[in-house]
Amino acid sequence: MSTASPLNTVDAASPANARPASEGGGARRPRRFAPLPTAALLLGALYCLLPVAWVAIAATKAGDELFSTFTFAPGSGLWENVSDLHGYRDGIYWRWMVNSALYAGLGALLSCAVSALGGYALALYRFPGRETIFNVLLAGVLMPPVILAVPQYLLLAEVDLTDSRLAVLLPVLLSPYGIYLARIYAAAAVPADVVEAARMDGSGEWRIFRSIALPMMLPGLVTVFLFQFVAIWNNFLLPYIMLSDDEKFPLTLGLFTLLNQGSTTPALYTLVITGALLAVLPLIALFLLVQRFWSLDLLSGAVKS
Amino acid sequence: MSAPGRAPGAEAPARRRGGASARATSARLAPYGFLAPTAALFALFFALPIGYALYLSVRKVQIVGLGLGPDGREEVWAGLANYRRALTDSELLAGALRVLGYGAIVVPVMLGLALFFALLLDDERVRGRRFGRLTIFLPYAVPGVIAALLWGFLYLPSVSPLTDALEAVGLPAPDLLDGAPLFGALANIAIWGGTGFNMIVIYTALRAIPAEVHEAARLDGCTPLQTALRIKIPMVLPSLVLTFFFSIIATLQVFNEPTTLRPLTNSLSTTWSPLMKVYEDAFTGGDIHAAAATAVVIALVTLVLSFGFLRLATARDRREENAR
Amino acid sequence: MRHRATATCVATLLTATALGGCGAADDGAVRLTYWAWAPGMEEVVELWNEANPDVQVTVKKQASGDELVTKTVTAAQAGTAPDLVQAEYQALPTLASNNVTADISAEVAGVEDAFTPAVWQQVTLGTDAVYALPQDSGPLLFFYRADLFEEFGLSVPETWDEFAETARALREIDPDRRLTTFSANDAGLFAGLAQQAGAQWWTTETDRWRVAIDDEAGRRVSAFWEELVAEELVDNQPMYTPAWNQALNEGRQIAWISGVWAPGTLATAAPDTEGTWEAAPLPQWEPGANVTGSWGGSTTAVTTDSEHRAEAAEFAVWLNTDPEALTALVQTCGIYPAATAAQTGEALAAPPPFLANQPEFYETVAEVAEGAAPAAWGPNVTVAYSAFNNAFGAAAGRRAGFEEALAEMQQTTFDDMDRLGFEVVQ
Repeated sequence: MSTASPLNTVDAASPANARPASEGGGARRPRRFAPLPTAALLLGALYCLLPVAWVAIAATKAGDELFSTFTFAPGSGLWENVSDLHGYRDGIYWRWMVNSALYAGLGALLSCAVSALGGYALALYRFPGRETIFNVLLAGVLMPPVILAVPQYLLLAEVDLTDSRLAVLLPVLLSPYGIYLARIYAAAAVPADVVEAARMDGSGEWRIFRSIALPMMLPGLVTVFLFQFVAIWNNFLLPYIMLSDDEKFPLTLGLFTLLNQGSTTPALYTLVITGALLAVLPLIALFLLVQRFWSLDLLSGAVKS
Repeated sequence: MSAPGRAPGAEAPARRRGGASARATSARLAPYGFLAPTAALFALFFALPIGYALYLSVRKVQIVGLGLGPDGREEVWAGLANYRRALTDSELLAGALRVLGYGAIVVPVMLGLALFFALLLDDERVRGRRFGRLTIFLPYAVPGVIAALLWGFLYLPSVSPLTDALEAVGLPAPDLLDGAPLFGALANIAIWGGTGFNMIVIYTALRAIPAEVHEAARLDGCTPLQTALRIKIPMVLPSLVLTFFFSIIATLQVFNEPTTLRPLTNSLSTTWSPLMKVYEDAFTGGDIHAAAATAVVIALVTLVLSFGFLRLATARDRREENAR
Repeated sequence: MRHRATATCVATLLTATALGGCGAADDGAVRLTYWAWAPGMEEVVELWNEANPDVQVTVKKQASGDELVTKTVTAAQAGTAPDLVQAEYQALPTLASNNVTADISAEVAGVEDAFTPAVWQQVTLGTDAVYALPQDSGPLLFFYRADLFEEFGLSVPETWDEFAETARALREIDPDRRLTTFSANDAGLFAGLAQQAGAQWWTTETDRWRVAIDDEAGRRVSAFWEELVAEELVDNQPMYTPAWNQALNEGRQIAWISGVWAPGTLATAAPDTEGTWEAAPLPQWEPGANVTGSWGGSTTAVTTDSEHRAEAAEFAVWLNTDPEALTALVQTCGIYPAATAAQTGEALAAPPPFLANQPEFYETVAEVAEGAAPAAWGPNVTVAYSAFNNAFGAAAGRRAGFEEALAEMQQTTFDDMDRLGFEVVQ
């Protein structure tokens, strides 16, 4: 093998089977409890949670409490903040949220599909130019996105697509990170011999991908989807450059306009913090929804049959 | 996605007569077909803009006289002048050194923690895994502006609950936004925001380790620690390489943390990191040409460091394989 | 099946979004787009739209800041700029230099008289062209805690010498309090203070620029503040941080030099102190003089991209000089109008709620605004401002080296212009 990738160990030893349930399972053998590792995990969780808790608490504070009352003391203004947010420019906040959901949802879905196809091809086929293609893709992330936004704007202006939703959507569909992840995951989860056997049976390549590889790659793709969703949800610079109509703004950009209304207008911190908290909620919901796909037992049936 | 449980190759007999050569051809062409969307998107939204940025980097604005009005400026060929300027810019070099120091903290700590937590999440004996998974991932979902607002708040000596806590136990509270602690303060934000993301990547890979491997390890009498060190870590090596590769790039392109903490302190300049310099040139200074040249320089340095690492990791990988 | 459904759905969405932009009804009216950040601007524009069915203006709300200038320049480069933009005074030379703002001197002839010469000069850049119309201005005032000044027996400083004495007296009375802070994170205030001392940072001389940041006026101001910072008579930490908010709110800083818009900011930063602040004229360098600088303020500019320059200019004139429009701007957008007639108008009869204790607030402001020194902006203000942040940030941190910082700011600004090919001297 003359590949220049770190993946060949996995290529060679692809597992034939996914691990059965470990979470919630383990009936055969009594599960022991490890106090020290549990404590370590909880400590890490605490470290990550505390600042988020501050946002949640800050969102309950009225404007005059934000910087004046004790950090972790809840305030009295949550309802007021939410209704202020709702009242701002005829509830445009909700439109921003719908926009964000559209950009992130659709963008992540399509990006995930592109990554799945690309990652699968790179992991399971040997073909001339494979590593070159892969390396060129990776090299694409080396150029700082900051500097690409302006050229992307000028190019999209050529086809009259600036200030359109497509302008925000199209550039985020390709994620070298997603392809890399999909490749690693396809290499680990899709056994080469299963693909070969299906081919011997006369299945077409597309069919093999769709009915055999895709279900096996699902947990990895869910991860790709999640990452892309969050990345697009929090994307700022691209929509900032591309959009001028605030009806099309995503949340990040909308909140940014709330923070910068000129020197004569103080930043609407309470609105921004409440808005940010509400913006994190859909991401948490998505995470909770998505994480069940990481339990592979859900799919083991498909793999075995 | 597609319906699970459908037997692969159900339509096989009908096609079997198609002949082996047709199948071989389609197998040979298939990967290109699968990569077609990737290639198209790459060409349009990466290659073309990068090419355009390269073009911009060898151009410059030439002002005529006062530079006001319709004939005030024109774009002319600059050759390598922008690059010369970028490479001789002492502030850019200083920024690069600062970022290397910062990266030396961020990358090992963040990935170490990510691996550690991922292993804990994969250990059945640990309680509260679902909770841990969500909460450690959570910071990744908090947008940069808000993350900076909240950490900035937690860092400022006069308002930080940290100061209160330290003073309560009789310790002097350090000024986190000055001198050496500043690096730690910046690194902390990156570690806080990035650990969960990398943890999930590694965790997803851990979940893919086949059951029989675990079974075999258990039968061999491996302790959980031994299983982790000898089996799990080697098996998720590709994911570790991936996270390392992208962490190096993200570190060298650090921008959000120093930018958002900058207004809070006198110790962070607007050109603290190389990418801040690019941003300043492009978005506040309005000199896209200088910015493009600096960006190309950053990209090249990143290329050497990140692909150098990848090559190194791959070489080690291959040696191990040969040894086996 | 589900695949097909998803695909159809995606295709429909994409088509819908691609076509979404071009659905305006064709009723013969001229349609103008206007990028602005002032809150409530769309309500003011609605007044125009009702009265002018032939010229309909749509506000597209933007975030203010240096990045907006780049965004506008990029859009202009691609031919997609709006007809009108809200632009800060100091951004005008940059926009004019990139050929973004159109010269509307022919369209707005005669409007000049509505503004003071000092303000008008900022939109002409000292040339015969008119690159925008002034909208609001931000004359500097001295805001102070009237209650604490009384409690500590301090009197309002009328000169900068008295200002320094007041700072010293306060520290002697209470070592934990400072009069104010020298902040290195906002060059706008420093620029305003320099203007008061007579600085003209950028000037045009027939066909060349002169950069004079490091001149007598600038050195005077920076030396004054260096002494205060070095002796720890004022704080050296930045403004607009949670710590600064708290210091104001708890009375550990008892004065703030700021633009006329300060009450709004104070209401957010120091809510507990409502009704305790008052505004006075800025301390003077010459006793008895009435000179102030400016911080903030913006203009309405017509772009060269606009196909309806005359209509756009007409709207800009209406917005910034019509009494009805100005009243709406004051009441809805909360701005301090640049048009002199409006500064003593009905809309500004009552003080801002946060300063309800000072009924004559706007009378004071109007007097101060008469003495606003002309500001002189150049095509690379953002570069100079960044240089200020970096050089003075380091100097304020060390509590020394302001003189060198000013020289560095001058050099960086000059070099940048020189490199781009501007005819420039220093």
